[in-house]
Amino acid sequence: MQAPGTAARGAARRFVARPEFSTLLILVVMFVLTAVLQQNFFEIKSIARNINAFTPLILITMGQAVIILAGGIDLSAGTALSLFTCVLTTVMRKADPWSGALALVVVFAVAMAVGIINGIGIGYLRIPPVIVTFATSFIWLGAALFLRPTPGGEAVEWFKAFYNVGAIEGVTDSFLKRFTDVIPPALLLVVIGCLFWAVVSKTRTGRYIYAVGSSNDSAYESGIDTARVQLRACLVNSTFILLAALFFVGQNQSGDARMGDPLTLRAIAAAVVGGIALTGGRGSVYFALVGALILSFVNKIIFFANISSAYQTLVGGAIVILAIAASQAYTLSNRRAR
Amino acid sequence: MNLRTTLRESAAYLFYDRFKKLIVALLLIVFLFVLGQLTVSNFLSLGQVLLTIKLSSFIALFGLCQMIVIAGGGSGLDLSVGYAATMTAVITAAIMDGKNENLWIAVLVALGIGLVVGMANGSLAAYVKLPPLVVTLAMSNILQGVINVYTAGRNITGRPSPVLQIIAAKSIGIFPNILFVLLILAPIVMILLFRTKWGLKLFGAGTNETAAYLSGVNVRRVRFMSFVISSVLASLFGLLLLGNMGIAFKDMGSNYVMPSIAAAVVGGVSLTGGDGNYLGVILGAIFLQTLTNLLVALGWGDAGKWLGFGVVLFILLIVYVSNRRSR
Repeated sequence: MQAPGTAARGAARRFVARPEFSTLLILVVMFVLTAVLQQNFFEIKSIARNINAFTPLILITMGQAVIILAGGIDLSAGTALSLFTCVLTTVMRKADPWSGALALVVVFAVAMAVGIINGIGIGYLRIPPVIVTFATSFIWLGAALFLRPTPGGEAVEWFKAFYNVGAIEGVTDSFLKRFTDVIPPALLLVVIGCLFWAVVSKTRTGRYIYAVGSSNDSAYESGIDTARVQLRACLVNSTFILLAALFFVGQNQSGDARMGDPLTLRAIAAAVVGGIALTGGRGSVYFALVGALILSFVNKIIFFANISSAYQTLVGGAIVILAIAASQAYTLSNRRAR
Repeated sequence: MNLRTTLRESAAYLFYDRFKKLIVALLLIVFLFVLGQLTVSNFLSLGQVLLTIKLSSFIALFGLCQMIVIAGGGSGLDLSVGYAATMTAVITAAIMDGKNENLWIAVLVALGIGLVVGMANGSLAAYVKLPPLVVTLAMSNILQGVINVYTAGRNITGRPSPVLQIIAAKSIGIFPNILFVLLILAPIVMILLFRTKWGLKLFGAGTNETAAYLSGVNVRRVRFMSFVISSVLASLFGLLLLGNMGIAFKDMGSNYVMPSIAAAVVGGVSLTGGDGNYLGVILGAIFLQTLTNLLVALGWGDAGKWLGFGVVLFILLIVYVSNRRSR
């Protein structure tokens, strides 16, 4: 007779053997290290500050993960983010609260246009994704520079709700303020992003994204409209970038044509660390989120290691390339073993 | 036979078919000059043309790096050329300190930087099989970081040696000297690519990886070498860039990266690999510089330049690279 608990132990052993386990293990290690280094790590205020610092990368990474899963890659994510912040702060007038609503409509249209242009390039014209998004990144950059040659612009007061409801003038002691003191809006944006992907991944498009990413030709021959699937993946990506842009404008109340540049590569690295295969079709968007968390914690650790700011680009770049190379080597060795 | 086949076999058609993309690039340049002459006064003159060629020379030089990496296939591209050149310039400016006798040390340093960067790029792209664009983008971040660290405690000092300044900045009569560098470089590159075994292997690896591998070409090594050559050339061009600018500064090379790739595409280099005509790249560089001049003359500035480059690259990708499914 089987001893009780054998089945559970077997399941645990199977879980340990999965690649996701190592990702989670790294996350836990990073979490513990950061908690040890940052004295007030568990205070509500510093938790909120960490969530705010991590959110943009998390959102961009999730979008990037979707597009990589569909067999593409988006090198224009960072400049698209910059463009959205520039569009928002150009349309909005601080004195007119209604201009915020108009800005939301306009930026949504711009985001969809960005997704459609990338999607047409990747899906319908079948230009290699790397190079077509490289080209479009300069279109977004140019457009952003047209709107905001220098960082600046203005935003309506209530846009701060995307960052910190308490910072809005006039909101004093409402229920909303107390609620967002505990749960920062940034976390809500991430939750919205997760719910959005939860819905999309349950649709036919969600399943087709994996099929198209694994093998474009097989998917096409099985009757899937691969171009449309990749276009939709680009639109999902644009939506995630839009969420990040809302957060940025809420936080800074200004737009900057160059601020998104460093995020592109970090998001790709985070997705890869989270187990998304650059060849497409393999990985999970939620684990890409974990990858983004890992890279964010690494950033914090670098910060606490007291490295002079001059070294930060260097160390950041080195970590990105090491992370990508290690993940790729791991995947390659696994594939050979099979 | 009928008229169509006769036309297809005519010498003029064969010429057109072979140099199609060069002719397109040339027509684009002429179109821009005419457009400029119509909208901006005094746009088309010998002086202006020569100035355009001089300004475009660095795009063409970095375009050579791109062409070699692209030709090897595997969707190769090198985004680290800008910071490889910048790093060389920043470090060698202090070494040369305006003296000709220190030039050889500077050249050795440039070679060293190029080798290290190229080998790192090449091993990650060719052996670990990471997307070259991602690898070289990360590499350029790292190099930027190294430059930041190097310049953190001190000012960037020193000047290029006079020889470099003469080659890169001065001119003989109305002809800028850098033009002669291109005139010497272009045939050498063409001979290396089209008349040597190495060029054949490079194009073979780019045209059909499997076929090249089965014919005994070590595809990975060829691609690795293409990245090494690209980085070494980029570092050497960093010396010329220093000669041209007279001083070194932190971001001196980064503005050439995107144009160098665009120049290769405009010049008809197939991004899937397997071909490459350096004359086309030079024409592509001249086209982009003319476009910049025109946009600056129209007062569109930086925004117009990047937007213009992006749109041109996107359109040319649609024309040359797109691989639509036939239904």
